[in-house]
Amino acid sequence: MRFSEEVLMAYADNELDEKTRAAVEAAMATDPQIARHVAHHQRMRARLRSAFEPVIGQPVPARLLEAARGAAATARDPGRSNVIPLPRRGARGGSLPRWAALAASLAIGVLGGWLAFRIVGSGPITMRNGHMQARGLLAAALTTQLASRQSAAQPVQIGVSFRSKSGEYCRTFSMRAPAIAGLACHAAQGWRLQVLTGTPEEGAATGGYRQAASPVAAPVVAAVNAEISGEPLDARAEAAARREGWTP
Amino acid sequence: MGPAIEDLRDRIIDILPRLRRFARSLARDPHDADDLVQITVERALTHADQLHPDSRLASWLFGILRNAWIDEGRSRHRREPLHAPEELAETVGDPTAGSQAELLCVQDALARLPEEQRLAVSLVLIEGLSYKEAAHVMNVPIGTLTSRLARGREALQEMLGDTSEAPR
Repeated sequence: MRFSEEVLMAYADNELDEKTRAAVEAAMATDPQIARHVAHHQRMRARLRSAFEPVIGQPVPARLLEAARGAAATARDPGRSNVIPLPRRGARGGSLPRWAALAASLAIGVLGGWLAFRIVGSGPITMRNGHMQARGLLAAALTTQLASRQSAAQPVQIGVSFRSKSGEYCRTFSMRAPAIAGLACHAAQGWRLQVLTGTPEEGAATGGYRQAASPVAAPVVAAVNAEISGEPLDARAEAAARREGWTP
Repeated sequence: MGPAIEDLRDRIIDILPRLRRFARSLARDPHDADDLVQITVERALTHADQLHPDSRLASWLFGILRNAWIDEGRSRHRREPLHAPEELAETVGDPTAGSQAELLCVQDALARLPEEQRLAVSLVLIEGLSYKEAAHVMNVPIGTLTSRLARGREALQEMLGDTSEAPR
């Protein structure tokens, strides 16, 4: 059976109805030329997507965040640093103790050389001036994702956000693939990793998703406890910090 | 109105990285691309009442960005260089240099496509929109979208060759 170019293209783009897709797959199984053709389309798609992937991880320029906030909020008044109040003790959102308790039930391996080899440079983390820095999806999630509104299906899960003793915004995160967790703080060049650990890949093996409230790794909890100034940000303070581009 | 517009602002911030990527696939210069994003955000907030409750925010924003890009199309042809040596020079010693060179290479190829093919390729292959969503953004029937996509793809295949080393 012969298929038009557009049908093979639509197959690669996952746009065919069940019946036509099955017919294309049957043809691919018997005709290597059709299989090669489809593979060309799939590779082109993958190549374009991966070429532009780094853009997603770049820090969003302040002027765009300001435009989204609206001109009124953009005025750089002297009181700007007061815009992000830290929640008072006892305020809603101080979820750290719950996280810490969950961590005790999870076996954690501190990032081993093999894992570092696999992730650093090619994956969500790169080296910059001797520091590990988030990039790609991880950097994008740290910049834009709100813990209060994320879904369990998102590849990066944000945990707690807080101000560090040196005044930077820091956020904990976990990822399924690669299975890592850590703490990143926002610096001028992007998100600098303070702690990075591996986590068991039980979710990846079954294809299932982890719980939305992923348990946080013990080394991460320890780092949060060491770095945090005051309480974690509540949902409102988290959204406000994002609007400010994580710049105190 | 107050809380609704605040919510819209937050949802736009969620989409900013994708808008930047879409803009970079249309305008090669990063500053021009961010200008397009800024125009898009400003127009979206000014015309927030035109956002149909059923339509996806991302598609609506992509449509605004597409219009902004087409609006300034005339001046673009004059300005756009096909190589950016200063950008390449910046990447010396940078571990991400390979990926930046790849980005420039793909951007060069995209820049040679006719406007409408470039939009189709960008929306479907880079942004991952369905044919239906992409046709909606471009304001054309699906058949028109798919034929532009097919022609754009064919031209890219010619320019970039078959990428046997598929990303794993």
